[in-house]
Amino acid sequence: MFRAHHIHEERLFECYLTEREGASMEPLVAEHLADCPECAHRYADLQRFMDDLRKEADAELDEVFSAERRRAQQQQIAHRLEQVGHAARIISFPGHPPADHHALPRRQRVAPRWLAAAAAIGLIVGAGLGGVLFRDRPATPVQPPVMGNVGPIEPAFVETRASEPANDVDFLSELEIALERPYTPELVALDALTPHVREVRITRVSR
Amino acid sequence: MSDPRPSPFADGVPVARAEGIARDRRPGAAAQSPDTRLAIDIRELVAHGKTELARDRFGELVALHQRRAMRIAYQYLHDAADADEVVQDAFVKVFSHIDTYRETWPFEVWFTRILINGCLDRRKARARRARWFASTDTGHPPEDARPAFGATPQIDPEARLLARERRARLAAAIDRLDGRQRTIFMLSHYGDCTPREVSAMIGLKESTVRVHLFRATRKLRSLLGGRA
Repeated sequence: MFRAHHIHEERLFECYLTEREGASMEPLVAEHLADCPECAHRYADLQRFMDDLRKEADAELDEVFSAERRRAQQQQIAHRLEQVGHAARIISFPGHPPADHHALPRRQRVAPRWLAAAAAIGLIVGAGLGGVLFRDRPATPVQPPVMGNVGPIEPAFVETRASEPANDVDFLSELEIALERPYTPELVALDALTPHVREVRITRVSR
Repeated sequence: MSDPRPSPFADGVPVARAEGIARDRRPGAAAQSPDTRLAIDIRELVAHGKTELARDRFGELVALHQRRAMRIAYQYLHDAADADEVVQDAFVKVFSHIDTYRETWPFEVWFTRILINGCLDRRKARARRARWFASTDTGHPPEDARPAFGATPQIDPEARLLARERRARLAAAIDRLDGRQRTIFMLSHYGDCTPREVSAMIGLKESTVRVHLFRATRKLRSLLGGRA
């Protein structure tokens, strides 16, 4: 119990536990602590150490788990308790139909056929209308370049070189062919006044 | 899986230590603590099919034990998310198995045993993960070092840093205790349990618990230099 007239550490610890539980320590020990400053100092150290441990834990707890977080936890617990006792809900996965899927009403299996038929009809009607509407239209007109989408615009004459007269002739021939089409009647009079390039070309070749 | 069934408790009923409950540790105090009486009421309500009412009453029980449960779980796991989950699981498990609760031992003992089993399971799972997966530690401060959601951050960064270092030292010292000593110290010091209650929770003799508790404290004092 006593070692060299001092209280053993284990005995001091027992006293600490006894006091923590709200009981009073043994009178003999209490008397010794009152008379022996060294043991009283050791006991005070032990109490301070244990109290510091506890204070540190409480401070850490308050820092990590704030009041808001504790309230949120209470709500989560309440929410989970609402599920207690309820059977788990089974969600059927589309790739794995239930075993008795043959017993399902036939109406439920018609939907994919509807979709396929509608898609086929839409395709046919679209192709037919497209053919009718665009059959006699001229070629797609040349769209002017959009300033924002293209790079710096280079002048058209850059591409036109004197050393390539054949390209110019071809271009003009195409232009004449285009003018001969029935949808440009306004240019017919102008066409009549102008010699055709291909005729000039034929004349040159024949000479 | 945690076993919700507690070990038999010796005769004599210690009073409750839960937060907010009047603490009277003297022998011969009230036979049943408020939380134990509440748990019995909830059990009766569930038995009579009044589940809604039982849930409402259970909220009171959660409020009584939540802080203490969080303290134990956090000191065990040192991870806020894990501690949060373990505490939630313990409360849900208690409600699910409330019909198996017997008032021969206090509710606190029963609940703490469930909680500790959950913490131990979580530690084992973490150890298994650590064996199979590489650490993803990026050098960032641990979660407990960051202010919690809604918490007021400490203004003084130096004090914050010192507190973090102190807690890290303390956590390292507690981790150096062997498993049994650690559990006993946690339950006794952070769980506010008497040696008698701890002996009921973990199935050891009370005298053995006292010895382990003393040794754990002595080792901690030597590791921490007498200061927490």
